[in-house]
Amino acid sequence: MRTLARAYLRGLWDGKLVLGYTLLLSFSLLIIAPFLMILLRSVGKGWFGRLWFPPQLTLDWYRWAIEVGNIPEVMKNTLIIGVIAVAVSTVIGIFAGWAFGRRRMPGKEFLMAIVLLPRMIPPITYALGVAKIFYTLDLVDTYLGVALAHVSVCAPYAILVLATTFEALDERVLEAAGVCGANTLKRFFYVVLPLIMPGILASMIFSFTHSYNEFTLTLLTYGPHTVTLPVRTYLAVGDGYWEITSAMAVIMVLPSLLILAMIQRRAKPERLVGGFKGV
Amino acid sequence: MTSFWRTHSTGLVTLLLLLPALAGFFGLFFYPMLLTVILSFRPEGQIVGWTLQNYGTFLRDPDGQWVIALTFLLALGATALSVLLSVPLSLILRRKVRGHQFYRLMVLVPLVIPGLIGALGLLLFWGPRGWFNLFLLQFVPFVTRPVAVNYTPHGLIFFYVWLYFPYTCVTTLSALEALDPGIEEAGAVAGATPWQVLRHIVLPLITPGILAGSVLTFMAAFGAFSVPLIAGGNYRPLAVEIYKQISVPIPARWSAASAIAMIMGALQVAFLALYMRLVRRMGGAAAGGVR
Repeated sequence: MRTLARAYLRGLWDGKLVLGYTLLLSFSLLIIAPFLMILLRSVGKGWFGRLWFPPQLTLDWYRWAIEVGNIPEVMKNTLIIGVIAVAVSTVIGIFAGWAFGRRRMPGKEFLMAIVLLPRMIPPITYALGVAKIFYTLDLVDTYLGVALAHVSVCAPYAILVLATTFEALDERVLEAAGVCGANTLKRFFYVVLPLIMPGILASMIFSFTHSYNEFTLTLLTYGPHTVTLPVRTYLAVGDGYWEITSAMAVIMVLPSLLILAMIQRRAKPERLVGGFKGV
Repeated sequence: MTSFWRTHSTGLVTLLLLLPALAGFFGLFFYPMLLTVILSFRPEGQIVGWTLQNYGTFLRDPDGQWVIALTFLLALGATALSVLLSVPLSLILRRKVRGHQFYRLMVLVPLVIPGLIGALGLLLFWGPRGWFNLFLLQFVPFVTRPVAVNYTPHGLIFFYVWLYFPYTCVTTLSALEALDPGIEEAGAVAGATPWQVLRHIVLPLITPGILAGSVLTFMAAFGAFSVPLIAGGNYRPLAVEIYKQISVPIPARWSAASAIAMIMGALQVAFLALYMRLVRRMGGAAAGGVR
């Protein structure tokens, strides 16, 4: 009787485990399947009707994507714009993060809320105004213009990440270094910099991700010389060639996966969602 | 002068430190918003005069009301489904099951990939020739025709959930991991079954975390633009409607677009304020319940 009861409980426990793993596996499948379909579509040929896999493989679509879709040029644009956006947001983030994280000021909470406000409003609402201003300033279709538009999305994240980084910097460690005879310069290079470097790197990675993925503001400020990867994909979807679009998507998703690996290893993923303070 | 510098130097340095951020805020957010507000009150295509007509036409138009209702429907549906997916998922992932790092990575994938790529993959997967329908046709009886998912409202909700549930999931997971295991043990020692511990101790304690994450999911879903643009078909939420106003008609209808943008911003802010209040109240209630 006892063994029976034990077996029954055991079965229940195993059942729970099976249920849990089933949920996890189907969840992973749901996340991965769209990428697999893109990948297969990008190398498949003559994939019509009710077939699970393409009957023939080809690399033609990649050739088309690179030659007709002009992917190298588009990739160059995206990287240049991303680098400018990251540089500007990191500078803004370091200064403002230091002020928010380490200095006393009246109305800090209010100022912080003001600076972080762009994250609470859908980008399309201010993208209209940004586009209007950039048209009058002739910033549309320039690297600087598109990058500046991206800054409005990237900078709040940089400020948030860096403010928490600087806030966590322990005053006593600096004092200890001072007691041990390190002057201001040495203290900065040997103590402060190593401590804040992970935060700065995380902020740069997140800023770049946001710039790389940014679509709304780019769509309203881009021109023929500043087509970025998301805009190129959108245009390709409009053209209706799914195979070529998929090839572009594969090329485009690789850097994102690289960034994901970096985030997983180096930074706390919670920062990516930029949790609200005080909710 | 020196005395002025001495008394005000720290304040001035703080101001200088904040200057780039404030410049960016005013140049790239505040001034554009101001311009949009002004534009929304101008008669279409003119630079003088004031009118409320842009708001009136959109709000009185049944199509406009439908657009607003659809936006809320999609965002709220996606938020609710995200919570339903995230809570069990984070409860499992908390146990550090075998390969949990891989599954955690899976949670982050939709966050870092461009939304358009996600939408493209989802369109392929859920499409009439995608694996989802192939599976239904081959293994599920009585399904003889592909089920329509793409370009429907429920399809859009699925897509939103896929893309935006990580906000809820990551926040829920971190709330769960910040939980003191002693509290649960105390519940178990006091004779509560695991289910009771979950229902009366764990869930109330992580509710603020879940709600905070769901706010982020809601905001992302409410403001979603790229996904409904390519995967929405005839179902256009507010963001796409705004873009249509300046991209389809010639000449572009900037004033109408600005008015819709203002309506969208106001709705989002109003809803957020309401939601935050609810979150505060529920958070307080949860903490009080444990005390």
